[in-house]
Amino acid sequence: MLSGSDTVYVLRYFDVIGRAEGCRLLLTAANASWTEEHPEWPAEKANQPFERLPVLVERSNGNEWILCESLTIERYLARVFGFMPTDLKQAALQEQMADQQADLLSAFFAQLTATGDMKPKQIDEFNTLFDRMVKEHGRILSRSSSKQHLFGDHLSYADISLYAFYKLFIVYLKCYQSDIAEIVKSKLTPKIINLILSIEKEPQLAPHFSKCDTMAAIFTAKDF
Amino acid sequence: MSSSNASYTLRYFDIVGLAESSRILLTAAGVEWTDEHPEWPQEKPNQPHGRMPVLVEKSTDGSPDFVICESSNIERYLARTYGFLPADLKQAALQEQLRDLMSDVIALFTSQIQCKNEEDKAEFQTKFDGLLETLINIQTKLLKDNNNTGRLFGNKLSYADIVTYGFYMTMLVSFAGFKADIIDIIKPKLTPEIVKLISVVESDPLVVKHKSRGGSLAAIVSA
Repeated sequence: MLSGSDTVYVLRYFDVIGRAEGCRLLLTAANASWTEEHPEWPAEKANQPFERLPVLVERSNGNEWILCESLTIERYLARVFGFMPTDLKQAALQEQMADQQADLLSAFFAQLTATGDMKPKQIDEFNTLFDRMVKEHGRILSRSSSKQHLFGDHLSYADISLYAFYKLFIVYLKCYQSDIAEIVKSKLTPKIINLILSIEKEPQLAPHFSKCDTMAAIFTAKDF
Repeated sequence: MSSSNASYTLRYFDIVGLAESSRILLTAAGVEWTDEHPEWPQEKPNQPHGRMPVLVEKSTDGSPDFVICESSNIERYLARTYGFLPADLKQAALQEQLRDLMSDVIALFTSQIQCKNEEDKAEFQTKFDGLLETLINIQTKLLKDNNNTGRLFGNKLSYADIVTYGFYMTMLVSFAGFKADIIDIIKPKLTPEIVKLISVVESDPLVVKHKSRGGSLAAIVSA
């Protein structure tokens, strides 16, 4: 672990799952000293370096250091706390999964807001991308030595990122589109569902579920 | 660090698009590399995520080639491997956050172009204008704080410099195909500090041999 025991983190974001769940899970899994702040918005916009959230504040030895952009924050925390492989090739294989997931989120909003003849095209694009991603996750999992982790036999950045992604789609995005959870669930294979639920049971993540529900209750026997 | 006899293939369309930063990084790294323009969409199923760009690092020991995708992932991998991103995690993260912000600006432009509904189009336009302004302010401040050398950090060519150059190449050359007046809209917004960065990157000894299919960005922004 590269951060000192006197280092504390503040994650600034809205009080929603949104784009910060990966950051929350990483800080929890790391057993870091951290708190969450929900700045008044848009009153606090001008006080953020990029005028956006999330923002990570790291305080150590009287110094304060600030980082923006959800994926950069995730990759930074993953490296600081040892969830990202130090081998550059192995790290790139994990990072590209997170980038693909971000593309899926963009595709979701594109199909949500599309109108006219663009709508069916964007919906089709979203479904194609999602199905391809699930296949890729399945392929990676089939090569993993453990069926509870994407790479190796320990909780990694890729596992945490995947869990945050599915939580986003299954628990959060229904506030934008009421049927998205069912659409996404129907695309998942039993092996992927098993992976999601295994990650959820990781002891390092246990404190996260004192503040929110697990997804275990969402998947019933008929989903497997 | 990879051995200097590594060689690469970059698979993408024969356009500037989202690949220019990767091309510049490969050139600046001094490694052997080629562009490949796969038949499309025939070759879609043969790419890891069904999309491009894709980077292939040719294996030298008979093991399978190393293949990665996602443009910003390719950039970060090359930058870390060849020393354009610092090893210090904080220093690297400060550079990466700029690239992610630029990706957000590109995403807003794409959303705006794809929108058919005039009201939504106007909303995306407003967001795009606002975020581009934020980006330009941040880049300009960093350049000024770094003694206006045309470098965002330190005193040699960095990942941040290259991806910033690549971003403006995408905006001003690639996107001109979608919005003919984009140069007239964006050029006046560029500060002298950013214009200098573009010139400094393009003329850097490590980059100068790169002949972009987009031509000289420095010429476009200073004309």
